[in-house]
Amino acid sequence: MIEIRDIEVVIKGFKLEIDYIDIRDGEYMIVMGPSGVGKTIFLHTIAGFIRPDEGRIYIDGVDVTRLPPEERNISIVPEDYGLFPHMNVYENISYGLKIRGYSSREIINKVTKISQYLEINDLLHKMPSHLSAGEKQRVAIARALIIDPKILLLDEPLKSLDPRLHIKAISYLKNLREKLRFTALHVTHNIIEAFYLGDRISYLSDGRLVGTYTLKEFIDSEYGEEYIKGIRELSKMI
Amino acid sequence: MNLDFKKIELFAVTIYSLSSLALFIILAPLISIFLITDLETIDKILISDYRYTAQVYSAFTITLEASVIATTILLLIGIPLGYLLSKFEFRGKEAIEAIIDLPLLTPHIVAGIMILSAFGRRGIQGIFGFGGVEDSLTGIILVMMFVSLPIMVDTVKAGFNSIDIKYEYIARSLGANRFNVFKDITLPLAKNSILAGYILAWARGVSEVGALLIVAYYPKSINILIYEWFMVYGLKYAAALSVVLLSLFILIFASIRVLTR
Repeated sequence: MIEIRDIEVVIKGFKLEIDYIDIRDGEYMIVMGPSGVGKTIFLHTIAGFIRPDEGRIYIDGVDVTRLPPEERNISIVPEDYGLFPHMNVYENISYGLKIRGYSSREIINKVTKISQYLEINDLLHKMPSHLSAGEKQRVAIARALIIDPKILLLDEPLKSLDPRLHIKAISYLKNLREKLRFTALHVTHNIIEAFYLGDRISYLSDGRLVGTYTLKEFIDSEYGEEYIKGIRELSKMI
Repeated sequence: MNLDFKKIELFAVTIYSLSSLALFIILAPLISIFLITDLETIDKILISDYRYTAQVYSAFTITLEASVIATTILLLIGIPLGYLLSKFEFRGKEAIEAIIDLPLLTPHIVAGIMILSAFGRRGIQGIFGFGGVEDSLTGIILVMMFVSLPIMVDTVKAGFNSIDIKYEYIARSLGANRFNVFKDITLPLAKNSILAGYILAWARGVSEVGALLIVAYYPKSINILIYEWFMVYGLKYAAALSVVLLSLFILIFASIRVLTR
């Protein structure tokens, strides 16, 4: 379980405050909120790239607030997937295992297994520049999941996909999650993504976490209403 | 931009004219030096006349030896310094950056006097009783390092700056410590900038003459030899040796362009 208590981060005059949030094991938590509200800073603070000025982060009861990112066992998939451009798909996926000192045999076995799972086994020798957006997304997820992280942080991972691929990718993530039951924190602006994938939704506004809701609670909240209103207006226009 | 003669714009004409002028400033001396040089003199200084060939080959050897040693040492100290300035924030960073760029603004003769006063008989050599930069290979290496250091550090730093921080973040989240990130991610991604830094710093070192006149006239490096021939034999022999040096430079730069394309 990930527990966040009274976090305060100040960066270049911007202040992010997270009073309280728990992410249970196996839970898929969605983070929503307007642009520039601090969602990426929130993810980077959990990952350890940004050190909070105040507060504590616990993983399974252990205080990791001052631990460097490499000691937290938290992996991240950024918006553009961030595949290492100088490594092929196999090297990208296996990097986390190699750095952890796994033997070549173990690495081959694990990469083969996850690449079959994610249906990317025919891409292993390709360079990232030769992959489609959908393929890059799968490789980035494979690279993040292969180290068996405590939590997978997804920073708008479906944003750069075209609408047809977007729907496919949501369904793909949903299936994957049901099979592997990983814990995730997924930042998105997209209400469909949130409802289809999420167990709960955390909402950020004006640099603060204003609440964590079940899907039903979110629809009934003032923030959920705005999204529903937006969808209604869009459907009228069509 | 394609130049459409049916609709010649004043803007496009200005751009093309000024660009041509810029090219002319470089091409005119380059072409001229090749035009005034005859093959007979080149043959004399490179092949047939021992009085000249002995000096030329010795100067080329010394220049190559000193420049490779100087640039390699610069590479070893320039990469950590470029990395420090690119990735770390600390008090006095801007002052350090300004100090590093100082050799770019220092007149070459003044640079020579500075090196001599720091490392010569009145400097480190005088105090500690070892070293010796005057008229020595060490002096040539030091001069080359002094004038080339800003180019190496700035080019490498620009390379590190151009790498998206997300790759380093991701590598760390996958379990890599700072050293592993540097070795596996930052260094390979900055490879082209490091190579460019090496070549530019090497070229800058080889082209130095002003500071060498003060610090190490001997053993004669190639530019000192060209200067001396100009003073003793006149333009004809100095131009011939310059053409040989320029041809080598053009060949090296063209090969690197082709290899790194």
